[in-house]
Amino acid sequence: MNWTKRYPGWTMFGAMVGLLIFLWGLAIPLSAAPAPIGPAAMQFAEGARITVWLTLIAGSVGVVLGVLAGMGKLSKFLPLRWVCDFYVWLIRGTPLLLQILFVWLVIPTVMPASVNLSDFACAAIALSLNIGAYNTECVRAGILAVPHGQIEAARALGLSPFQTFMDVILPQSMRVALPALANNLASLVKDSSLAYAISVVELTMVGYRVQAESYQPIPVFLTIATIYLILTTAFTTLTSALEAKLEVGQKR
Amino acid sequence: MNTSTTPTPIIVARNVDKRFGSFYALRNVSASFTEGQVTAIIGPSGSGKSTFLRTLNRLEKHDGGEIVIDGIELNDNLKHLDAVRREVGMVFQSFNLFSHLTILRNITLAPMRVRKMPKAEAEAKAMGLLERVGLKNQAYKYPVQLSGGQQQRVAIARALAMDPKVLLFDEPTSALDPEMVNEVLTVMRELAHTGITMLVVTHEMGFAREVADRVIFFDEGAILEDTTPQAFFTNPDHERAQAFLAQVRHGF
Ligand SMILES: Nc1ncnc2c1ncn2[C@@H]1O[C@H](COP(=O)(O)OP(=O)(O)O)[C@@H](O)[C@H]1O
Ligand SMILES: [Mg+2]
Repeated sequence: MNWTKRYPGWTMFGAMVGLLIFLWGLAIPLSAAPAPIGPAAMQFAEGARITVWLTLIAGSVGVVLGVLAGMGKLSKFLPLRWVCDFYVWLIRGTPLLLQILFVWLVIPTVMPASVNLSDFACAAIALSLNIGAYNTECVRAGILAVPHGQIEAARALGLSPFQTFMDVILPQSMRVALPALANNLASLVKDSSLAYAISVVELTMVGYRVQAESYQPIPVFLTIATIYLILTTAFTTLTSALEAKLEVGQKR
Repeated sequence: MNTSTTPTPIIVARNVDKRFGSFYALRNVSASFTEGQVTAIIGPSGSGKSTFLRTLNRLEKHDGGEIVIDGIELNDNLKHLDAVRREVGMVFQSFNLFSHLTILRNITLAPMRVRKMPKAEAEAKAMGLLERVGLKNQAYKYPVQLSGGQQQRVAIARALAMDPKVLLFDEPTSALDPEMVNEVLTVMRELAHTGITMLVVTHEMGFAREVADRVIFFDEGAILEDTTPQAFFTNPDHERAQAFLAQVRHGF
């Protein structure tokens, strides 16, 4: 049993604090680096913050979407099932870049002129919809994995269908779905780089700009890759600690 | 109010039918149960015993006839259903403890959610019930950490936490290793003396004979015998019941 499994609460706390300190303080060590990294330290730090924000927002909204659509796919109400099936089919069958461009170009034309969505908001919406569709399948599988006896026990005790879902089905299905959801989140950290296409200045965009100004792609891209690795590691640690936490009471 | 000479029936089933497709799992079943009565329900596998219990708290909807629990008719009215499920507890063959919750949370969940009992009160009550079933020191463990016999005692405590007037047991000892059967039967025997109404589907003939006030023998979805344990075990009316008893005795 490793440390993450033994102290999941502390690991989660540690990973979260580590992530925050990293984001907060990233500019300090970077600014000590030689050119072209040092002078652009603030830009790198800001890019990393945008990447993390995109990931956290799309990741959270994506889980909610995944739960709602996952439930919808299992609904007895046929039209709702169709809507959810269509959503997943549409998103999984088209490139993410296309989805990002679509949201960015099409939403402003259908929204009233007073609503002004930022590029960042468009990227967040597109990424949320995207990861939500992938999460849907994981959540659905998780819900189907909950033994029927658990649901019957809850109903027999007088819990309402909603209470049964919130107190029994959802936590138990999350335990099953979490590894796959975590995978999706790790991909999201990287996929968020596609937001550069609609001029969101996230990490990859920063790298692209800095190397374009300095003509030194190697140190720039090494720096960017390192920051991505640190971010994905932090997110993976966070989710595996959460997995360990939810695994209590589970047969091994 | 009725006098003690004609005790109030708490469960009335009249001409109950239950079909699965074209197959009749229950056929014109009528029986009423008075408060405090302990009834053993016996019969071959597939004879409809579980189905009968499960119609009484509407885990299965009956297709014909009527069921009235403590004056409340079981039908599509959800208010009635909620009221009935609060009065009727159920203990399952496979325990069905909530695997993601501690023993204590398993017991406090329904009182807190359904009866809106404050947490401290629910926990105090749960500890009292755990003491009663001899498992006070297991409160903070998870179901997988307990033996089958212990889990089933917790399941009984969980059902009791809702203060039901009726407890339904569906083969509560059938999934247990032989050495654990008695600890569960002991708890049930004690319960039988508390005045709670019990319907127990069981293959434990010794228990039926000693503890039950009444024996019901099911065969092919119908009640074939409805009599005292004394009469049933010494001289059953029907050949099918005689054959069943001979077979059961042979098995031990
Ligand atoms: N959900 C169901 N769908 C179809 N058939 C069922 C279902 N539940 C029970 N049955 C059938 O109904 C009959 C009675 O089942 P059950 O009440 O479980 O019997 P018992 O508990 O006496 O062994 C059996 O033939 C069983 O196959
Ligand atoms: Mg059965």
